[in-house]
Amino acid sequence: MTQDDANAADIVMGDVVRLEDVLSRDSAASLCKSFFALFGLPVRVLSQEGDLLAEAHRDRPLCSYLNTLADGRHRCSQTLGEAHSVQPDSGSIVHPCFSGAVYRIVPLFHQRRPIGRFIVGPYVPIEAPSAPESLGSVESIDTGAARAHFSDMPRAREDIAEQICAHLGEVLEILVFFGHRAQLASAMQLASVRESYRELAEKSEALTESHEELKQVDKLKSTFLATVSHELRSPLTSIIGYTEMLQSGAAGALSEEQSEILKTVHGKADELLGLISSLLDLGQLESRTLDLRHEAVDPRALLSGVGSTVVPSANRRNIALDIRVSAGTPKIWGDAIRLRQIMLNLADNAIKFTHEGGQVELGAAPAQLEPGDPSGVGSGLFTANRPAVVLLVRDTGMGIAEDKLSRIFEAFYQVDGGTTRAHGGAGLGLSIVKQLVDAHGGTIEVTSKPGEGTLFTVTLPAANPDA
Amino acid sequence: MRLDLAAKELTLKLVYYGPALSGKTSNLRAIHRLASSEACGQLMTLAMKNERTLFFDMLPIAIAVGDGFRVRLKLFSVPGQLMHEATRRLVLQAADGIAFIADSRRSEASTNRESFLRLHRNLRHNGVDPARMPMVVQFNKRDLEDIRSDEELETIGARSHEPIYKAVATRGHGVMQTLHGLIRKTWLKLETDQHLEDRVGINASRSMRAIESMLGNRPEWQAP
Repeated sequence: MTQDDANAADIVMGDVVRLEDVLSRDSAASLCKSFFALFGLPVRVLSQEGDLLAEAHRDRPLCSYLNTLADGRHRCSQTLGEAHSVQPDSGSIVHPCFSGAVYRIVPLFHQRRPIGRFIVGPYVPIEAPSAPESLGSVESIDTGAARAHFSDMPRAREDIAEQICAHLGEVLEILVFFGHRAQLASAMQLASVRESYRELAEKSEALTESHEELKQVDKLKSTFLATVSHELRSPLTSIIGYTEMLQSGAAGALSEEQSEILKTVHGKADELLGLISSLLDLGQLESRTLDLRHEAVDPRALLSGVGSTVVPSANRRNIALDIRVSAGTPKIWGDAIRLRQIMLNLADNAIKFTHEGGQVELGAAPAQLEPGDPSGVGSGLFTANRPAVVLLVRDTGMGIAEDKLSRIFEAFYQVDGGTTRAHGGAGLGLSIVKQLVDAHGGTIEVTSKPGEGTLFTVTLPAANPDA
Repeated sequence: MRLDLAAKELTLKLVYYGPALSGKTSNLRAIHRLASSEACGQLMTLAMKNERTLFFDMLPIAIAVGDGFRVRLKLFSVPGQLMHEATRRLVLQAADGIAFIADSRRSEASTNRESFLRLHRNLRHNGVDPARMPMVVQFNKRDLEDIRSDEELETIGARSHEPIYKAVATRGHGVMQTLHGLIRKTWLKLETDQHLEDRVGINASRSMRAIESMLGNRPEWQAP
C-alpha cells in the first residue's frame, strides 16, 4: 500500500495520519512561547517518532555551566536523550536529571490513540530541598558555582506542574482536533471535486457522442431534404406547365368555372414550388454548397425593387410603405438575387403581420461591421471595423414576445400556430434569411415590442468604393 | 472494517444516510450526549454557517471488549442536500453498516424514497451490493404532526428487510436503539464473513454486551 493509499484509507475512516500533519507548527510554537512566558517552564512538543515540532526555552546557567564540562555535557546529553525517548502509555511521567531537576513527559492523544507527547522541563520541584549529591559527582565540577546556579533553576510545585501540564495537554489536543478537522475538510473537498469532475467528464463524453450522432442525423436530413425537393420539383414544374397550357386554351376554350379552378391549381402549385425551393435553399445553405455571385449591389435599387413587388399587397390592406435610403449609403457586396430574397422575405413578413392602416418602412444607411464575435467582445483587439450597409425593415405590427425572439431564426419554428394558420408559411423564411445573411458575412438582429411592432436590422459588408 | 492485530483494534465504519434535514446530525449529537464520555470522543462537524452538513459529521467511539481488544466505532453522517451526491459516495466508501434516517411525515414520503434509491445507486457505484449491506431504518420526528402511524410502520416493518426503529432524535428517544440495532446487524455480517471469533478470538456476544453497556440503554420512543 502506498503512502497516498494509506492516507486515502485514513481519510475514508476519518483517522489521523501523523501529529505533524494536523498540528500547525506556528500555533504550537506560539503556544509554547506563551506557556514559557507565563510559567517560566521550558517546553518541547514531539511527534510520536520523537521529532521536535515546537519548543520554547532559555539555557539556564546551571545547564550552560554543566555543558562546559566534558562529563557534565555527556550526562546532560544522555538525560535529554532518555527524556525524549520515553513514551508514556497513559498519564504523565516524571523523568529525573542528575542535576536535581526533572522533566515531565506528557502523552498526547487524539481519538484515544497516542499521536505524540510534550516535555516540560528541566525544572526543580519546590519540594526538593537542595542540590543532590549526583550533581557534585560530575568530574571537575566547582561545587560552589554549581550550587549557586542550581538556586537559579525554575521551580514548580509538583501538583501545580501536573495541573499546568494537563491544561497544556488539553489545549494541544484541541489544536490537534481542529487541525484534523481542517485536514479532513480539505481532503474531502479535493476528493469531492475529483469525483464531481470525473462524473462531469463522463457526462460530457456521453453528450459529445450524442452530439456527433445528432450531427450525422442532421446531415442525413439535409441530404434527404435536398433529394426529395429535387425529385418533387420536376413533376411539379410539369404540372405548372400543363396548367398554363390549359389556361392558354391549348386544349380548347374554358368555361369561367374551369378557369377559376385552374387559377387555384396554378396558385397552389406556385406555393408548393416556393416551398420546395426554400427547402432546397435550406439544404444548400446548411451543407454550405450554395454559390453566391458577389457583386456591388445598389441598396436604393434593391429596396425599390422589393418595394414594387410588395406594394400591391400593402395597398390591398391599406398599409403605408415607406422607403428611405440615407445619403452616403455605399453599395452592398453580395449576391443581388439572394439580397432581394432576404429583403423580400422580411418585407413580406412585415406586411403580413401588420394590421390594416399600419406602416412598414424599408431603409438603408451606412454602418460599420464588427469582425469576429457577433457580440463584438474583444473585436477591437483584432481587426478594424469594416464599412457596411445596414438594411432596416420596420413595421407597426403585432410584434414578437421577448421569450420567442431567440428562436425565430430556427427552421420550422413558428411563433404562434394560430398566426401560421392565418398567414401561411412553413417557418422556413427567417431561417433561410439568417443563413443567407451569415453566408454573406453579415449579421441580423431583431427587436420587438408586442403590440407596437418589430425592427429587423441586417448589416452587410459594403462593396469596395471602386467596384 | 479495519483490523489491527498488533494494536488489537477493530474499527467499524457506520454511516447515517438519509434525505436533507431528516435528522442524521441530530442522531449523532444525541449519541454524543447520551453515551458514556469514557467511550465517546469529540463530535466533529464539517458544517456551513447555517449548520447544514457540508462534508460529514464524525463521532468516534472506542470501547474495550475484553481480552485486550478494543472496538472503535466511527459514526459518520452524510450531507443530505441533493448537490452533495459526490461527497455522499465518498463518505459511503468502506462503510460496514448504514442507518437510513427517514422523516416520518407523510409529506416527505417521496423524498425518503428518492434518497433510499440514491443510496442503492451510490452503493452499486462503489461496487457494493445493497442487499449485502447491513442496514437499519429509523423513522425520525415521531413528535410531529401528520406522520405515518405506528400501524403503518409495523406494516412496513413486516415486509421490510431492514429493522425499523422509531425516534425523536432531538430528544434522544430511539437513537440508542437504532445504533444498537445497527451494530448488531453489522457485527452479525462481520462474524459470518470474517469469522472474527475463530480467527481473532473476539467473542461476539461478550463484545456486544460490552458495547451496549458502554453506550447505555435508553427508553424507546413511545407515542404519547
